[in-house]
Amino acid sequence: MLNEVKWDGLWNATVETVYMTGISVAATFFLGLILGLILYLTSKGNLWENRFINQLFSLFVNVFRSIPFIILIILLIPFTRALVGSMLGANAALPALIIGAAPFYARMVEIALREIDKGVIEASKAMGASNWTIIRKVLIPEALPALLSGITVTAIALVSYTAMAGVIGAGGLGHFAFLEGFQRSNSQITFVATIVIVIIVFIIQWIGDYFTNKTDKR
Amino acid sequence: MKKFLHLIGAATLALSLAACGGTDEEAPDTGADEAGEPQEEAVTLSVGASAVPHAEILEAAKPLLAEEGIELEIVPFQDYILPNHALRDGDIDANYFQTPGYLEMQIEENDYDFVSIGEVHAEPIGIYSQEYSSLDELPEGANIIMSDSISDHGRILPIFERAGLIELDVAEGELATVDNIVSNPKNLRFGETQVEARMLAPSFESGEGDAVAINTNYALEGGIDIEQYGIAFEGEDVLQPNLIVVRAEDEERPEVLKLLEVLQSEEIEQFILETYNGAVIPISQ
Repeated sequence: MLNEVKWDGLWNATVETVYMTGISVAATFFLGLILGLILYLTSKGNLWENRFINQLFSLFVNVFRSIPFIILIILLIPFTRALVGSMLGANAALPALIIGAAPFYARMVEIALREIDKGVIEASKAMGASNWTIIRKVLIPEALPALLSGITVTAIALVSYTAMAGVIGAGGLGHFAFLEGFQRSNSQITFVATIVIVIIVFIIQWIGDYFTNKTDKR
Repeated sequence: MKKFLHLIGAATLALSLAACGGTDEEAPDTGADEAGEPQEEAVTLSVGASAVPHAEILEAAKPLLAEEGIELEIVPFQDYILPNHALRDGDIDANYFQTPGYLEMQIEENDYDFVSIGEVHAEPIGIYSQEYSSLDELPEGANIIMSDSISDHGRILPIFERAGLIELDVAEGELATVDNIVSNPKNLRFGETQVEARMLAPSFESGEGDAVAINTNYALEGGIDIEQYGIAFEGEDVLQPNLIVVRAEDEERPEVLKLLEVLQSEEIEQFILETYNGAVIPISQ
């Protein structure tokens, strides 16, 4: 039934998708966490309240969240070339993937932190905890389940972003389905590639749920 | 900076247009009424087209068609698959973007009931390089960047075959693919990097690969100096004309025939020659 599927091509495409998703999720997690913390801490009534910094980062996050992915790729060409040495290929897709996803995740981090009971922070302050200690020992642990479920949502969004990265020759399952399946009217390949994407999404969701539950103390 | 804004503009436009598509289903069949009053109302004809040069040529034909009582609606497309879907589904009355080889392949694969009513222009695909000034100068293992459209490969590879750099083994009437290369002494790397056609000009601009095969419309859109950087083009004898394609039942529709007549007129031929400086070749009958 699946005699017309190019398995080695499918395997390469799977590796490319996992590679791009993996690296961009890791980078998005750290970048988004930092951005989200800045957004939260500088907002009204919080540890580093600073209207100017807050507005500045908020503007930055909003701008990069609104730029369509394909345009982000074009905008970032000079930056990507300086960083990766080429504007084509899987590595060249990473800056656009990360810069596209990090602001999205930053907002999720901000929301997660806002959910924390202010009383906990006040109590830590009263006990003489430094700001840095509060961030490390209170904010992040308290928000961890929400941070993890947020990165799960972001990771799944990134899987679909990698399909668009095909425009710069990054490969991946989405582009493989387009090249070998859609364009050659080989529905078997489109079908199998879609199944693999679905499996990847399920695995990400499963891992995310596992760690979210594990860290949830409620 | 200007080019940069141009790029953004083009990309935004392409994206916003992806959502468009729906038009009136069936224009009234003016040919059917024999004795009735002459129809004064303008008939709308919607035509799907690629942005450059197709939509621009149609834009130039718009006033000429208006004189004939036909209101031309141009529906721009950014890919080569959807204009045929839209034509089949009746969202558009005709499309203007494809070459005979591609049309044949699409009909075969999708069972479209389409016919070409005529040819308007040809855009030779070109090989562009910032470093080398001829195909012979390409070094061992040179990386040739191509689009991810398979039908383009069937036009690019023969350029290299004609220059004696590779040998192809293609069945009569078939389009060549990378798999058909039987001899490649210089180990040129074809399609190792396949990008969307839209990204070809930006790839060339930023010096990717040793040479980039670019469709003329994208080279024009990207503002590439075709005379300076083009090192090889499709031969005059294998030029692929761009067709006006309609559903088979509309083959004799008067508005459709009028559209073709205007597109093949001297005014449009002149427009093409003046606007594109030879990068787009009008096909006069």
